[in-house]
Amino acid sequence: MALNFQNSETLPVRRVLLVVLLVASLAMVTVYAREGEDGPLHAVQNAVGAAVSPLKFAGASVAAGAGAAGEGLRDAAADESTLSALRERNAELTEQLAQDEELRQENERLRGLLELKDTYALDGVAARVIGRSANAYSQTVTIDAGEAAGVDTGLTVMGAGGVVGQVIATTQNTATVRLLTDPSSGAAALIQSSRAEGVVRGSLDGLLYLENIDADVVVNVDDLVVTSGLGGSYTRGLLIGRVVKVEGSVGDATRRIVVSPNGTADVLEEVLVVTNAAAGEAAGGTQ
Amino acid sequence: MTDGGRGFAATLVGAALAVALQCVVAPNIALASAMPNFLAAFALVAAVVRPEATGPVLAFALGLVFDLLGAGPVGAMAFLLVLATFLASRAFFALDNDTLFIPVAILLCSMLLVELFYAVFLMGTGLAASPLDAFLYRALPCALYDCVAALVMFPVALRFMAPAKPRQPGSPRLR
Repeated sequence: MALNFQNSETLPVRRVLLVVLLVASLAMVTVYAREGEDGPLHAVQNAVGAAVSPLKFAGASVAAGAGAAGEGLRDAAADESTLSALRERNAELTEQLAQDEELRQENERLRGLLELKDTYALDGVAARVIGRSANAYSQTVTIDAGEAAGVDTGLTVMGAGGVVGQVIATTQNTATVRLLTDPSSGAAALIQSSRAEGVVRGSLDGLLYLENIDADVVVNVDDLVVTSGLGGSYTRGLLIGRVVKVEGSVGDATRRIVVSPNGTADVLEEVLVVTNAAAGEAAGGTQ
Repeated sequence: MTDGGRGFAATLVGAALAVALQCVVAPNIALASAMPNFLAAFALVAAVVRPEATGPVLAFALGLVFDLLGAGPVGAMAFLLVLATFLASRAFFALDNDTLFIPVAILLCSMLLVELFYAVFLMGTGLAASPLDAFLYRALPCALYDCVAALVMFPVALRFMAPAKPRQPGSPRLR
């Protein structure tokens, strides 16, 4: 039998194979659920993720080039029809302008990251997002900085607007970042104005929810939410976002507080991995 | 090449393409967090197009690849695809009436069930989401996206993977 999935086996053998594979699958799910992050199945999953990183590079290039390719096809069709040198020149200039605009936007984002780094007096490693999760249920991205650049699991990751997630796995040259918007994410946080502490969690609808805030705490729209550093999972005092909606009123234990996320997987391009937590803590709460 | 050999080769090539599409293309064509599962789509298409020839190993292998590529529990998609492809091929045997409606209907139902039960698996293994959110924000949109992928793959698979139908005695023949 082995890897031959054609009709070479007899019907009873196929039935046995079916049962064996179902049992093996369930056994793997059970082991995966019970083992820790360092378990063998997690390790294999991380290794496969690292192995397909080059494909993610290709995927990112495909995505970036898709728009340009469409433009190019349209331009090529126009050139064929007109055979005009002027149009060719126009196409070149248009392409140049698009490249300049791309560089300007990248410059703006990197400047934002630098300002953030200065504001919080952080040490960190800048990295580019090179891949996204192939599973709709997980909000993770792959970045092009790994152990070789000093990136380690558990480090806080920031976008231009503030905290976006945390490193959950690393290889020599890449790292996987779980975004705050992932349903499995949770960051100890506090409301800057009232110092009320809670937990910011991601959700499947892409929003961040601030939970476990005492019922008697007044929460207003536009209140800033920052990491509290409790539990040591995130560097203290970094901006997570602003309160954009409060469903329910003071005294209501079931109220829902919605916080604007700083970044989602589909728009994030450059990030800063915070390597020096002590510097971040020194700036904690000064935002 | 024999019909079986051709189908086997086409299945292997199709599986490799599905893996490549899942790695390279799927993350970049997400629509509002919905992402197509090319691996599930191909496994189910193969089960419907070659119901008597495609065993559970293909579905298991593709499901395992999906599990290892993502961050979900390893084994969950493998389990669901093995079960879904078996049921889809049985349903096709029982219901096939030589129209396109039956295989397409089986494909769509299977995709929806796979996505629904995958969400159940994830919630059972610690996904912090309500069943309604999981259904509305992931299972349903992903299932629709999978169906689109399966409907694109289906005619291609029919062309390259389907076994040639035996000629009936007395059937008209072009001369």
